[in-house]
Amino acid sequence: MFGRLILVLVLFAAVPAWAQWFKIPTPGIPRTADGRPNLTAPTPRSPDGKPILSGIWQMNGKYLQDIAADMKPGDVPYRPETEKLFNSRRNGAGGKNDPAARCIPGMPKLNALPYPFKILEAPGVVIMLFEGFTTFRQIFTDGRELPKDPNPAWFGYSVGKWEGDDFVVNTIGINESTWLDNAGRPHSDALHLIERFRRHDFGHMDIELTIDDPKAYTKPWTVKEDLRLIPDTELLEYVCNENNKDYEHLVGN
Amino acid sequence: MHAQWIHYPTAGIPRLADGKPNLSAPTPRTKDGKPDFSGVWEVEHNRPCPPGGCDDMWIPQEFLDIGWSLKGGLPYQPWAAEIVKRTKEDRSKDPNSHCLPTGMVRMYTTPLFRKMVQTPGLLIILTEREVTYRQIFTDGRPLPVDPQPSWAGYSSGKWEGDTLVVETSGFRDGLWLDASGSPLTETAKITERIRRVNFGKLEVEITVDDLKAYTKPWTIKLTQMLAPDTDLLDYYCIENEKDRPHLVGK
Repeated sequence: MFGRLILVLVLFAAVPAWAQWFKIPTPGIPRTADGRPNLTAPTPRSPDGKPILSGIWQMNGKYLQDIAADMKPGDVPYRPETEKLFNSRRNGAGGKNDPAARCIPGMPKLNALPYPFKILEAPGVVIMLFEGFTTFRQIFTDGRELPKDPNPAWFGYSVGKWEGDDFVVNTIGINESTWLDNAGRPHSDALHLIERFRRHDFGHMDIELTIDDPKAYTKPWTVKEDLRLIPDTELLEYVCNENNKDYEHLVGN
Repeated sequence: MHAQWIHYPTAGIPRLADGKPNLSAPTPRTKDGKPDFSGVWEVEHNRPCPPGGCDDMWIPQEFLDIGWSLKGGLPYQPWAAEIVKRTKEDRSKDPNSHCLPTGMVRMYTTPLFRKMVQTPGLLIILTEREVTYRQIFTDGRPLPVDPQPSWAGYSSGKWEGDTLVVETSGFRDGLWLDASGSPLTETAKITERIRRVNFGKLEVEITVDDLKAYTKPWTIKLTQMLAPDTDLLDYYCIENEKDRPHLVGK
């Protein structure tokens, strides 16, 4: 399905003059003399000195296809049964079993969609609005603890706190049927994700993502995903169920 | 009873001596003095329960018929009246039954929670149903001219005293406003006047101006009740959708 989504994105990019808010100046963006956004300007900060994460961001697309794109083969610490399951999903086998094929992407795939998302910081909660699937995550920053033995949720339960300039998000309770990436890397119900959001300058951010899942992997492993700010635009509408023609052609049970 | 945040005290709620939320306390306000709509909201329970008790999902009158409070009902154009008549026998065409977006009006009448989060320049509504959202810009931007038709429309709001007046246009054809099949067309303009009456109650006056489907503009009023000390769960229509093959229709 995602191959086609990328095609759609290319089509959008080829049609510059939509009359919605596809092109609208984002207030507060530092600009160079010619009026272009200065994406290497310093990280904006709130009055309390913390980096501001708000804005529209998009992740490097390679991590959706392969979350371990930057790792050496053999460095992902699979448990044998995890590797076996992963191998059984190679080359699209079982693609029908990926909930994303039925319009539910799961985490951490949601962050990695080839569409922008918007971060909004509100009192007690950070909200991520995703163009892809027109869905959202809530990351609570009101000091609550992660729930104990929660009912599995598609995007899990997330709490965040600042550690210096890093916004650190812990997530548990993710429905175990979701895949970590399109390649089909599995996870268990014990999955604990640790995301460290780190905004380097105005236009660039990393998410250092640790996958801590002792049932599926022998030790925690970490990848660093890079994102760029997408200035002067707004999220478009994306309704997966509207015209989902791929599902019946996917292989699986 | 799950161990997620379905029972978690909401910060900042005024409480009575016994610790219960005081829902008739004054309207909360943001730093700039405007009413703050932030909170988890649900439908008004304005429909008597059927014999044998209320369903798990308690639907309001407006879910079934958005014009139920209007004398003589909605001023349908003949083709729209025909859809409503047909829907009495055949509900299979309802976009809801196909897990498609509810649109902004049914978002308010769905018997699942929604959460408003008010930030400077933007009011967002997060919904349990479909784990989706609506954005209402309050940064003064004008509505787009001839936009790409959409399920959500394009919404821009401004304050008139303590009322947020939101204009929305840019819909696609095919949205329904209720389970009766009251249609909305791409020529529609919708105006909402949103007011937080007190801590526990939100009033939304909705004017639908869609002369392709209705002979004149009409206005209804919806009430939303605060759902304190809880938060949204995730509800995906498609997750275990078993009804569609059993629906009657052609």
